[in-house]
Amino acid sequence: MPENTNTEKEKPRIGVFICHCGSNIGGFVDVKAVTEYASTLPDVAYATDNLYTCAEDGLNNIKESIKEHNLNRVVVSSCTPRTHAPLFQRTCEAAGVNKYMFTFVNIREHCSWVHMKQKEKATQKAKDLVRMGVARARFLEPQEETKVDVTPVALVVGGGVSGMTAALSLANMGFPVHLVEKEKALGGFVKNLHGLMMTTKSANETIKPLIDKVDAHKNITQHLSSHLASVEGFIGNYDVSIGGDGAEAKDVKVGTIIVATGAVPLVPEGLFGYKEHPNIITSTEFEELCNKKELPKLKSVAFIQCAGARGQKVSYCSRICCNVAIKSAISIAENRDNMLGVTEEEGGVVEEPVAEKKAEDEGLDRRRRRRGRGRREEGEAGEESAPSSGVDITVFNRDVMAYGVENELEFNKAREKRVKFIRYVPDNLPKVSVKDGKLEVEYFHETLKMERTMPVDMVILSTPLVAQPDAATLSQLLKVPLGQEGFFQEAHVKLRPVDFATDGVYVCGTCRGPADIAEAVYQAAAAASRAAIPLANGFVQAEALTSRVDETKCTGCGTCVEVCPYGALRKSEEGISEVIAAACKGCGCCGATCPEGAITMTHYTDLQLLAEAKAALEEV
Amino acid sequence: MKRSVMVIGGGISGIQAALDLAEKGIKVDLVEKLPSIGGRMAQLDKTFPTNDCSICILAPKMADCYSHPNVNVMTYSEVKDISGKAGDFKVDVLKKARFVDEEKCTGCGDCFKVCPVSLPNEFDMDMRERPAIYVPFLQSVPRAATIDRAGVAPCSNKCPAGLSAQGYVALIRAEKFKEAVNLIRKTVPLPSVCGRICHHPCEEGCNRTEVDDPVAIAGLKAFVGDYVRQQGEDVPTPIEEERKEKVAVVGAGPAGLAAAYRLALKGFKVKIIEATSKPGGMLWWGIPDYRLPKDVLTAEVDYLLAHGIDIEYGKTVGKDLTLEDLKKEYDAVFLAIGAHESLKLGVPGEDLEGVVHGVDFLHRAADKETVAIGKKVAVIGGGNAAMDAARTALRMGSDVTVIYRRTKDEMPAIGAEIKGAEEEGVKFEFLASPVKIQGKDGKITAIECIRMKLGEPDQSGRPRPVPVEGSEFTVDVDTIIPAVSQAPNLDALGSKDLAVTKWKTLEVNPGNLSTNIPGVFAGGDAVSGPASAVEAFAAGNKAARYIEKLLNGESIEPEPEEKDEHVITLDDVKARMEGEITKSERVLRQHIPDDKRRTSFEEVEKVFTKEEALKEAARCVSCGPCSQCEACAPACGPNAIDYNMKDQVVTLNPAAIVVATGFDVWDPTSASEYGYKKYPNVYTAMEYERMINAAGPTGGHIVRRSDGEHPKKLAFIQCVGSRNPQVGHPYCCAVCCMHATKEAMLAREHYEDINSTIFYKDMRACAKGFNEYVERAKSDYGVSYINSDATVQENAETHNPIVVFDVGGKQQSKEFDAVVLATTLVPRKDTVELAKKLGLKLTEFGFFESSDSILDFGRSGVPGIYLAGYCAGPADIPESVAQGSSAAAKAAEILANSGGG
Repeated sequence: MPENTNTEKEKPRIGVFICHCGSNIGGFVDVKAVTEYASTLPDVAYATDNLYTCAEDGLNNIKESIKEHNLNRVVVSSCTPRTHAPLFQRTCEAAGVNKYMFTFVNIREHCSWVHMKQKEKATQKAKDLVRMGVARARFLEPQEETKVDVTPVALVVGGGVSGMTAALSLANMGFPVHLVEKEKALGGFVKNLHGLMMTTKSANETIKPLIDKVDAHKNITQHLSSHLASVEGFIGNYDVSIGGDGAEAKDVKVGTIIVATGAVPLVPEGLFGYKEHPNIITSTEFEELCNKKELPKLKSVAFIQCAGARGQKVSYCSRICCNVAIKSAISIAENRDNMLGVTEEEGGVVEEPVAEKKAEDEGLDRRRRRRGRGRREEGEAGEESAPSSGVDITVFNRDVMAYGVENELEFNKAREKRVKFIRYVPDNLPKVSVKDGKLEVEYFHETLKMERTMPVDMVILSTPLVAQPDAATLSQLLKVPLGQEGFFQEAHVKLRPVDFATDGVYVCGTCRGPADIAEAVYQAAAAASRAAIPLANGFVQAEALTSRVDETKCTGCGTCVEVCPYGALRKSEEGISEVIAAACKGCGCCGATCPEGAITMTHYTDLQLLAEAKAALEEV
Repeated sequence: MKRSVMVIGGGISGIQAALDLAEKGIKVDLVEKLPSIGGRMAQLDKTFPTNDCSICILAPKMADCYSHPNVNVMTYSEVKDISGKAGDFKVDVLKKARFVDEEKCTGCGDCFKVCPVSLPNEFDMDMRERPAIYVPFLQSVPRAATIDRAGVAPCSNKCPAGLSAQGYVALIRAEKFKEAVNLIRKTVPLPSVCGRICHHPCEEGCNRTEVDDPVAIAGLKAFVGDYVRQQGEDVPTPIEEERKEKVAVVGAGPAGLAAAYRLALKGFKVKIIEATSKPGGMLWWGIPDYRLPKDVLTAEVDYLLAHGIDIEYGKTVGKDLTLEDLKKEYDAVFLAIGAHESLKLGVPGEDLEGVVHGVDFLHRAADKETVAIGKKVAVIGGGNAAMDAARTALRMGSDVTVIYRRTKDEMPAIGAEIKGAEEEGVKFEFLASPVKIQGKDGKITAIECIRMKLGEPDQSGRPRPVPVEGSEFTVDVDTIIPAVSQAPNLDALGSKDLAVTKWKTLEVNPGNLSTNIPGVFAGGDAVSGPASAVEAFAAGNKAARYIEKLLNGESIEPEPEEKDEHVITLDDVKARMEGEITKSERVLRQHIPDDKRRTSFEEVEKVFTKEEALKEAARCVSCGPCSQCEACAPACGPNAIDYNMKDQVVTLNPAAIVVATGFDVWDPTSASEYGYKKYPNVYTAMEYERMINAAGPTGGHIVRRSDGEHPKKLAFIQCVGSRNPQVGHPYCCAVCCMHATKEAMLAREHYEDINSTIFYKDMRACAKGFNEYVERAKSDYGVSYINSDATVQENAETHNPIVVFDVGGKQQSKEFDAVVLATTLVPRKDTVELAKKLGLKLTEFGFFESSDSILDFGRSGVPGIYLAGYCAGPADIPESVAQGSSAAAKAAEILANSGGG
C-alpha cells in the first residue's frame, strides 16, 4: 500500500463522487444537478457522478481521480456507511489518502428513498447533504490506528459450574487461567444441592468430573478462599491483586476477566410463615435436608412458587424454581434414594430407582409424557391413587415455567405422578398457618372459585435467586454495571449476552440472572470464547476515534471518569484525566460533559461538526 | 493442521459463531442455504424485552460477518457430503448457481423491475410477491440478486429449437408483449406463423397437463406475434455493425429465413435465392390458408427481410446458376432447399389419371390454381401434409377419405389437424394400406387396400403395421392424393461434388451443419428429410452460428451441446408451492362456424384476444420458476448476470463444524380448531410479524385479509401446535409467550385503538426483564391476559373470528376482529437429511441432540461437531447468540488441541 500522503497541511482538494445507485438515487434525485452544484462548493477540486460508485469502475474512478486531480479528501455521496464505508475507505487508502480523510454522505436512505414523490425537494436536500459533507471534509485530519499488546492470560472470578466451565474452556484453548473462588472448595451453589433436573445422579456426582478436570488442568491456577483485592488497567493489561484469607495478596497480570460469581437464594423473611415452623423451609433448605438425610416423616407436601418473586420482594421471575419444584416433587413421589427414609415395615419402599429402569419402561414413560396432561394408558394400574410413595404433593404456582423440551416433559411426568398444580393469583396469595402445631395452607381455588384449606406436613418455599451480597463491590472494582435487580448487566440484552460494555470483561452464569446449569454452562463457554479473542490475537486494535484530553485545560475534576461507560478514562499521577485509548469507544460522553472544554473527539471535532451544522443552515 | 471451521447456517447463532472464531484469527466458511444470511431474526420486526428493531441490530452483524477477512460466506449453498473426523473433516459444499456475480452485483434492483415472473415471497410469509430475480429482503447480505432457477421448464426443454416457452408466456402474462416477441425471435423468427402451425411439443411437456390441460403455448405465440404487429410495434432491430462478408442462402423456407435473419442481424450481407415466386417454402406452398393465412406469413417474412436481406425469386440453383457461381461470389453458402418431392406409393396404377401427389396438390392449391379433383378423394397418409390435403380437397367440394396404415393414435399429424379434419367431415380408414390403384380408360375407379394389424414397435417406436393376409378390400374413388412423405430434390442443385446420404438427403456434419464443401452449409428438410418448421428454424439458427464463426475466422469445431439442466417436474412445482395446483380451464380458441369451414379457406382457429391471452398465460405455473426470458441481463448496469453459471461443488477441509440451522414455523392449517386458512382474519405470528414491519407486505399496517380494515380487537392464542401431544409437539417452544406480548404491545404502538387479549396456558415470561415486560404490557399497553386454552370459530357475515375459551370451568366466547396464532417452532425440514450426512443424533422431536445436556450443552455425539441455536432445542435470541459463542469456544479448543498453530 502506498504511504499515505501527508495531507494535513496541504490546502484541501476535495473530490466528490455522487452515485446514481442505478435508479435508486438517480430515479428520484437529479444527480447531474447535484454534481454540478458540488463542483461549485469551496475546495472541491473535482466532482463527478457514477452509475454505481461501489462497482469496479466506480472505485477505479475514485482512485484515478485522486491521482489525476491531486485530491486529498474524498466525499462519496451514495448509500449507507454501515455497508459501504469500509469499501470506500480502502479505496482511498489504496490511492494514498488516509481513510479518515473520507466523508460519507447518505443520499439514498436519508434522501431518495424517503422522498420518492418529491423529486425537486429530494434534489435540493441531496445538495444540502453534499454541502454539509464537503464542509466537514475541509477540516478532516488523518488519523492513525494503534495496537495495544495483550497479556495472554485470563482471570475467572467464581469457582462454581460457570466459572469452572469458562476456566476449563480457556485452558483448553491453551491460555493460562487464574480461577478465583471465595470459598475453600470449588463447586459453587450446586455443591450444596441434593439432586438436579434431568438427571438421577446427585448434584455432587454430576459436577465431580468437571472439578476433576479443573484440578488436573495444568493451565489453571486455583486461588481458593480468595477474592479480588484490586484491579487496575484495561483490556489486555490488567494488574489484579488476589487477596486470600489471611494470606499475602498475589499480584497477577491478565488480559481478560470473566465474572462468574453466581447468585444466592432469597431468604423469605416474613413470607408464608417462614421460620414460624421448622417444616416451613426454602427449596434450598429442602436440598440440604435431603443431603443430610434429615427429611422428617411426610404424608403431604406443598410447594409455594414465586415466594418473594414476581412483584413481592423482587420484580422478576427466577426462571428455575418451577423446574426445581417439579424435580423435587418427582423425587418425593418416587422416593428417590429412599429420601423419605421409610422402612419396609411402613410399607413405603416402592418404585424401583429410575436409574435402573428398563428401556421399555423408559419408552412407556416417554409416551406417557408425550400424551401430556396426566393422561394414562388404558388399563394402567394405580390410576387414581396417590404417588406410590404415598405423599400428597401440591405445587401452588402462578405460571409453571416449564419452558423448552425437557422441562415441559418433566412437568407432564409430575402430573402423571399425581402431583397437583394449583394456580394462584398475586391478589390472593396462599396463606400458611400453624394450627395446633400442624401446618395448613389456605388458598383460593381459581377454577372452583372457593376458599379451601389443605393440611400439610411441610411447606417448601420456592424463593428466587438474588444477587451476591458483594456484587456491588465487584462491580465497582471492575467498572462494570449492575442492573436494577443487582445482577450484572450485559452489554446488550439480545446480541451481547455475555459481554460487558467495557471491553475485556465478560459475564456468565447466575450472576447475570437466574439460569439453570445447562444455560450457565453454555454462557460460560460463550464468555470463554469472547474472552479468548484478545488473548488469541495478542493485541487489540485501539479505536482511532477516541477522545483526547487537553492537559492544559483539564482541572482534574473527574467528571469524565465518572461518565465514561467503558472505564476508558482515569486520573494520571498528575491528577489530570487521561484516555486509555484501548478502552475508549469514542462515544463522546466525556467531551460533552467536560466543564472546561478540555476534551475533544478525534474525527468529530467541534470545528468539523460546526462547519457541517453551519453548512446545513446556509442559504443556497 | 487445518485452521478453519465450517459453520452451517447463517442465522444469528451461526453469525455469532463465525464472528467469534474469525476474530480469533481462525478461518471460517459460513454455509447458508438461502441467498442471504440473517436467518429468522431478519424476519422479526422488533425484539423483546427492549423492543429494539430486529434488523437494525442484526444488519450490522451481518455486514461485519460478510466483510470479515477471515469469514468466507457461502450463501445459496448446501452441505452435500462429509467425511473425515475432528481436526480434518472433508466437506463437499454445493454452491448453487445464483446466475448473478455476487461481486459485480450492486443490489440496485433494476433487474427486479423487468422480471415478468411473480412468486410468493417466502421472506414475507407469502403475503406478497417477488420476481424470480430477487434479493430476499432489503438488507440482504450479500446484497446481490439471485435468479430463482431450479431448472428448465419442460415446455422450454421440449422445444426442438430450444425456445424458452415459459419465458414468453411469462412476458405475455406481465403484458410485456414486445419483449415476448423479441424473445421468440431470438429462436423462432416467425412468431405468428410458428404459433399457428407448430406441432408444439412444448404443450406436451407442460406440467399442467397432469393437472388439467396444458397451457396453450402455441396459441399465445400466435397471439403475441399478431398483437405486436397490429400495434405497429414490430420495428426492425437496427444493425449495429455492418460486415463486408456476403452469404448466400438457397431457399426461403423456415431454415433459410432463420439463417438469413440471424446473419443479417450480425451485419452480414445476405442474399436469399428462392426457386419459386414466394417466400416461406413449405409454409407458403404446403400449408393451406385456413391454417396459415398468407398475409400473416407475408407480413412476418417482410419483417425479416427489412433487416437488409436481399431476396431473388424464381432462380434455381443448378438451373439458373451453379453452386460454383455462388461459392465464387459469396463467402459462405447455406443450402436450405427443403424437401418438396412427393414420394410415390410404389403400388401399381400410380400413373393413372387422378393421382395427384400431396405436395403438388397443395402447391397448386396455394397458387390458387384450379386443381381438377373428383368427387370422391382418397388421401393416403397420416401426417400433416395428408391432413392438409384432405381438408383442402374437402373445401373444394369433394368427399374425402383418409387411408392410414396405423390407427389414429399413431398418426404423426398434430391433434388439432386431425380433430379439424374429423369435425369438417373427413372420413378415416385406419389400419389400411393401398396395394393397387384400379382404373378404367386410364382413369382411377377405385383403390384396393389391405387391412393391417399392429405389430412390434419399429425404429420410430411406433408399432409396425403388418398386412393381414386375404383382407383386401376396395374403396371407390376418382382421385387419389398420396401424401406419405417427401424428399429433397437434390438433382436440382446440379452439383456432383456435394455428398449425399443414402436417403437422398444432403450429408452434413450434424454438429455444425457443414457439408463436405468448405464454406457450404446445409440444413432443414434437405438434410433431415421432411420435418417440422420449428426444427428447420433450429437448423437455420445453427447454420448461422457456425457460418458467423467461419466468417470471424474462428474454428467451426462443433461445440458440445449441453442440455444437462434439470427439467422441472410436477412434483418440483408442487413442492415449491407446498401443495396442489389449482385447476383452471384452458382458454379455447374460437372457431369460425362449421358450415364456413367446409367451404372457405378462412382461418379456422381465431387467434386469442388480449383478454383471452392474459387469462391463458396466467395458467402457467412458472415451473422454472425463472422463465429464462432473458429480460434481466440487458437491464443490469454492471453486467452481473450470467445465465451460464453452473452449480459448483467446493470441498472444504475444516477442523471443526458448527451446526446452527435454526427452525421452521409450524403450519397450523391441519389444526382445524384454529381456522387458519379457513377464516381470512386468522394469522400466524410470523405473518403478523411481517405485517407489522414497516418494510413488510403491508408497509407496517395491521390489516384484515377480509376487508383491509385495521382490527381493533385482537386476540393472540398461545401454544398453537406446542405443548400439544396430539400433533407431536408436546414441548414448549420457549419464545412465544414473550413474542405474543411484544406483538400485542406493538399493535398498540401502531394504533391507539387496538385492544389485545392473549389466551395462554402459562405465561412463561421467565428470563431477564421478561416478567417486568409482561407487567408493562398490562399496565402501559392495556393488554389483557386470559388463562385458557382457546379455539376459533367465525362470524361468517363479518368474518370476525370468535374465540371460544374456558374460564372458571365455564365455556365462553368472544368476538375479535383478528386472531394471531402463536404457532410452535419446529426443526428445519431438512434437519433429518443433514443429521444423516453429519452422523448426528436427533431427539424424538427432531432437534439435534447434545451428548450431555447438563454440563456440555451443544457438544454433539460426533467429536468436532458442535450445535448452536434453535436447531439444538428451543432458545431465544440471546440464548442462540450465547450458544453460537459457546460452540465457537468448543471449536477453538479443538483447533488448539490438534497441535495447530
